Amino acid sequence: MTRHRKFLAGGAVILAALAYLIYAGLTQSAVYFITPSELQAAPVTGKAYRLGGMVLPGSVEWNPATLDLAFALSDGKASVPVRHRGTAPDLFGEGRGAVVEGSWTGDGYFKASQIMAKHSEDYKAPHGNPGDASYRDLLRTLKKDGTAR
Amino acid sequence: MIPEIGTGALAVGAALALYGGVAAAVGAGTGRSALIASAQHAALAVFALVTGCFLLLAYAFLTFDFSVRYVAIQTNLATPFYYRITAVWGALEGSILLWAWMLTLYTLVMVLRHRAQRDLYPWALAVMLGIVAFFLVVMTIPAPPFERLTPVPPDGRGLNPLLEDTGMITHPVALYLGFTGFSVPFAFALAALITGRVGDAWIATTRRWTIIAWYFLSLGLLIGGWWSYHVLGWGGYWAWDPVENAAFMPWLTGTAFLHSAMIQERRRMLKLWNISLVILTFGLTIFGTFLTRSGVIASVHAFSQGSIGAFFLSFLALVLLGAFGLLAWRWDRLRADGELDSVLSRESAFLLNNLALVAAAFTVFFGTVFPLLSEAVRGVKVSVGAPFFNQVNVPLFLALIFLMGVGPLIAWRRASVENLTRNFLGPVAVGTGAAAVLWLVGVRSTLAVLTLGLTVFTAGTMALDFSRAARARMRGGLGLLPAMATVLRRHNRRYGGFAIHFGILIIALGVTGSQAWSVQTEATLRPGETVRLAGYAVRFDGLSAAQDSTHAKVIGTFTVSNGRGEATVMRPTKKFYPQEQSPIAGVDYRMGLREDLYLVLGDFARDGSQATVKALVNRLVSWIWIGGLVLTLGALLAIIPDDKRA
Amino acid sequence: MWKWLIPLSVLPVVVLLAYGFRTNPREIPSPLIGRAAAPFALRSFDGAPVSLESLKGRVVVLNFWASWCYPACYEEAPVLERSWRAFRDRDVAVVGVAIQDKEESARKFIRDFSFSFPNAPDPGGKVSIDYGVYGVPETFFIDRAGRIRRKHAGALTDELFRTEVEKLLRES
Repeated sequence: MTRHRKFLAGGAVILAALAYLIYAGLTQSAVYFITPSELQAAPVTGKAYRLGGMVLPGSVEWNPATLDLAFALSDGKASVPVRHRGTAPDLFGEGRGAVVEGSWTGDGYFKASQIMAKHSEDYKAPHGNPGDASYRDLLRTLKKDGTAR
Repeated sequence: MIPEIGTGALAVGAALALYGGVAAAVGAGTGRSALIASAQHAALAVFALVTGCFLLLAYAFLTFDFSVRYVAIQTNLATPFYYRITAVWGALEGSILLWAWMLTLYTLVMVLRHRAQRDLYPWALAVMLGIVAFFLVVMTIPAPPFERLTPVPPDGRGLNPLLEDTGMITHPVALYLGFTGFSVPFAFALAALITGRVGDAWIATTRRWTIIAWYFLSLGLLIGGWWSYHVLGWGGYWAWDPVENAAFMPWLTGTAFLHSAMIQERRRMLKLWNISLVILTFGLTIFGTFLTRSGVIASVHAFSQGSIGAFFLSFLALVLLGAFGLLAWRWDRLRADGELDSVLSRESAFLLNNLALVAAAFTVFFGTVFPLLSEAVRGVKVSVGAPFFNQVNVPLFLALIFLMGVGPLIAWRRASVENLTRNFLGPVAVGTGAAAVLWLVGVRSTLAVLTLGLTVFTAGTMALDFSRAARARMRGGLGLLPAMATVLRRHNRRYGGFAIHFGILIIALGVTGSQAWSVQTEATLRPGETVRLAGYAVRFDGLSAAQDSTHAKVIGTFTVSNGRGEATVMRPTKKFYPQEQSPIAGVDYRMGLREDLYLVLGDFARDGSQATVKALVNRLVSWIWIGGLVLTLGALLAIIPDDKRA
Repeated sequence: MWKWLIPLSVLPVVVLLAYGFRTNPREIPSPLIGRAAAPFALRSFDGAPVSLESLKGRVVVLNFWASWCYPACYEEAPVLERSWRAFRDRDVAVVGVAIQDKEESARKFIRDFSFSFPNAPDPGGKVSIDYGVYGVPETFFIDRAGRIRRKHAGALTDELFRTEVEKLLRES
């Protein structure tokens, strides 16, 4: 039965290799969730995190020329300044929840490589209804330039 | 009116399906064919009822019947005609109705095709009707598509804008045809366990079912990637999101089963393995549906929650415990008649292929539930993303590509040195040569070089085999083309499989190219200003606005010229839907064989004085869709019925 | 014997998945919870003044709705009215604020659902901004001390109203 044992040994080696691959992969790429309070309590520079909170109203600064986006994420107790290069996703906005992935820089802000904003299917937003016309104003402005279809 | 009729019909259907399942089981157990016939009638009736419900719901959508809650949530008065139809399966309740309908359809086909078969068919019918009953019960209790809304609102909410796309018409349909298709092999596998006839009969019966289900699942995954690519605006096609993983896992185990079934047919080995794989594949389809609908794991795709998660989890537990329990009961009968002779054999290659696929499925599963595990055991919330899945799966997929080349050509039982050199020396040389050429040209991505080398090797083995077969025919007097056609026709299973493999190779190259060589940039431009990327010049011309039936949109006009002086105008948009909290990006892209150019409109000034645009040059992405096409042709070739056999 | 391990191994996986029902993977804490509710002074559609100050000491359920919000506000409206009637004698106040609605349509909405609690328009949207409202319907549960204790987005249910209000009433 040495052949049998050979196959079992081969199988065990393969299993061990797989287990190692998975273990290495997880320890390297699993990213921890953290709240602003937790981050403020114990900031670790350079470690990858997913930081979740609400975008503080009034904290968003967007510079279209340099594509620099800065804002603060808060969980009601602490708030963390965040910086990101590039436009934020469409769902991003003040007073809304967002999760950012990145790391603490040690220079006083969290550098976000990715911004993930929440989408809620439950209800409607006050856009485009008969009363308010925030985006309609936008369209009207553009149409005035004579560039409408 | 409609809510009551629909709800009633579904409840009756659930009862009938339950009756049919029990009748078929009792009839199978006691041998009373009258009961089996009665179960068949029940199956027919359930199909008619569910079809009727589907049409009824579609009718409610087409007539803007907002007394049905589902219609009021999914559409509004402005939703165009064709989206009103696809909205039927656009959310939870409707998607379950679609799933249930496909199950009843497959059950009907199974009845028509296999009712002459005495031993396995009655039990398989019982299992299918049991599964149908479960889904109908789900539609009766936690997720009723016909729930009434009082008072009836004057207008509805509207379709999720991301679903206003052709992908919405085809993706769920293809995916569900794949998922539900695996119910039939599962039903026959259980029948085999219950009757103790765990030999080849159940596999032979379900061979074509497996290929068809597998094909639709592959198609569904590809369309999903395509939809993600051209709708979501991130330039990618696969994010290792839990919902995507949920569909990928049964594909992996299904592919494994497809191959290991061939070993059982030929060598009567791997009986235990095959039955386990089928049970696992079906279990994973239910797990997938549980994952997307229960809200247990965070995902960007997830449907809404409710008590439905508990229903699916209970069903999943029941199915797996029952099926694996039957397996343990019939353990002794599942001994192999043949044995593995050598590592260098076709059996071994197929076995390694299976190991790689199951390992990949396990990896994906583990990575998907790890956040849950971590929170349950350590109380720590983590997320597992693309880097993990890529790191572990890429080596496995490369191994699979290699095995794709080795498997079909290597000898059964024990490959001699002569057999190995005759079949593989040439392809190995060509593969190594291709890799070397790539390296010499300056490509330094190990992944790309390795992938190309292996891909060329595998393609080489296929070409070698096919040319030998064609040449043999030609020696018999046929011309080149007739010889090729005859080979394809006579051995359509083999060469259909080759074509499918070839499609996968093309997809692999597309994936590698897009991962290794895609570039992107972002810039804010004033009218007339240009941003450059990879030989393209993108010039911002201006903004304009327009109104569609369901939304208003802002259009950015860009003139793009390539290095050869050709120019085209591209118009990415930002769409504003009344029912949405924020605008949705509309991507504009130009597809090409070598690369795609992809523009996304970001932020813009209200007076049109500037706009931020993201430009992506995605290399070789089109190859993924082309590979899908080749895969389709291969699948069609593979399922052509043989003239010789019954 | 060991073969039975295969079906049994299903159980820990199921248990793990069931654990998932208890956790909410998407939960992001709202910074408003626990904070003092922003004061408001509005004039209802009937002309009567409605202010948070005047309701101090009572449990306040502040609901933001709109006539154009289909179908959630339509599902929720009967719940609101029912719950109001059940709790009106128990130190509970329900206030509805119509967001960005045309007066005609808002009045019709109130009539259709026979709202007997005060409803007011929000001119300039100041109140909705103060409460960080970015969709409808949204409901805020404010305790006797005037602190926001819970925010619910989406249609209310009788169950939810009852449990939350009962909890806040129990606090002195």
